Amino acid sequence: MKKLLKIGAGLAVLGLLAAVYIWFFVYNKPHRDYEKADADFIVSAEKIYNQYSGGDSQSKKYLDKVIQIEGIPSYIESTDSTVIVVFAFSSGMFGDEGIRCTMLPNQFDRTRSLSLSENISIKGYCAGYNGTDVILEHCSLVNN
Amino acid sequence: MKTLKLTIAILILAATTTYGQRYITKTGHIWFHSEAPLETIEAHNNQVNSALDLTTGAFVFKVLMKSFIFEKALMQEHFNENYVESDKFPNATFQGKVTNIDDIDFQKEGSYDAEISGELTIHGITNKVDANGTFDVHPDMIAGTSKFTLLIADYNISIPGAVAGKISEEIEINVDLKLKELKK
Repeated sequence: MKKLLKIGAGLAVLGLLAAVYIWFFVYNKPHRDYEKADADFIVSAEKIYNQYSGGDSQSKKYLDKVIQIEGIPSYIESTDSTVIVVFAFSSGMFGDEGIRCTMLPNQFDRTRSLSLSENISIKGYCAGYNGTDVILEHCSLVNN
Repeated sequence: MKTLKLTIAILILAATTTYGQRYITKTGHIWFHSEAPLETIEAHNNQVNSALDLTTGAFVFKVLMKSFIFEKALMQEHFNENYVESDKFPNATFQGKVTNIDDIDFQKEGSYDAEISGELTIHGITNKVDANGTFDVHPDMIAGTSKFTLLIADYNISIPGAVAGKISEEIEINVDLKLKELKK
């Protein structure tokens, strides 16, 4: 009987631990730390845009990956809640087309003070191509 | 020869005045809200493409599904992988019209009610959608807002029984745009 109780208690503790684990690490797991993540691909802004806009099958490899792009930004767009770095290479029905990088909130100040004549590197999660632009999310500036 | 040049010039002018009044944004904000007994879910997308033709009322949206950011990473994964299947259907689109465009004076500052009607495509399924919204006309931009609900079943999105208590059958969609004139 005692043994049975011990087994029961052991199982209960294990179950509780599993529940805690699932709660913290599965259900509430945080977003990946894209700022610290290593880039899966390092590519020039113009090249990745051309691959996506030209329908190059090579562009498929970037989706869902951490991409580091390099180039001279065209301008910075700020809205109430976001700061976006734009690399423009073409234009269409919605205006400029290129690469649009949504910056992480801790990057807003540094991004707003960027010089628009220098080559920069930006790293972020590649959300894909919306028919006009390549979209990167959770972006940060890479020191160089 | 001179008359020919003049005719061409007039034709070009006519064409540009008809299609000239296009207002656009690439930083449109769309967020949705699902309220179920066990959980409230919200996701935001700040990179929405939209264009409005002030003359014809033609109104379009293009939304990259993977740009929706959720509070919880796991929800974002489930949304993309299981519900809207973003790899197969990367974009949602709306193509429609502001049906009462003639009632809105875009030359005069103020707030105007808008009636919007068109076709919304999500998860590869297209449905007719009618929504009400507001256009606030400012000197340098037009702010557009709208709120409407859609049924996830209409878009062939199935929610497994295990999480049914966490996801509402009815999703509230909010749209917030700051449209600026497209300079050519």
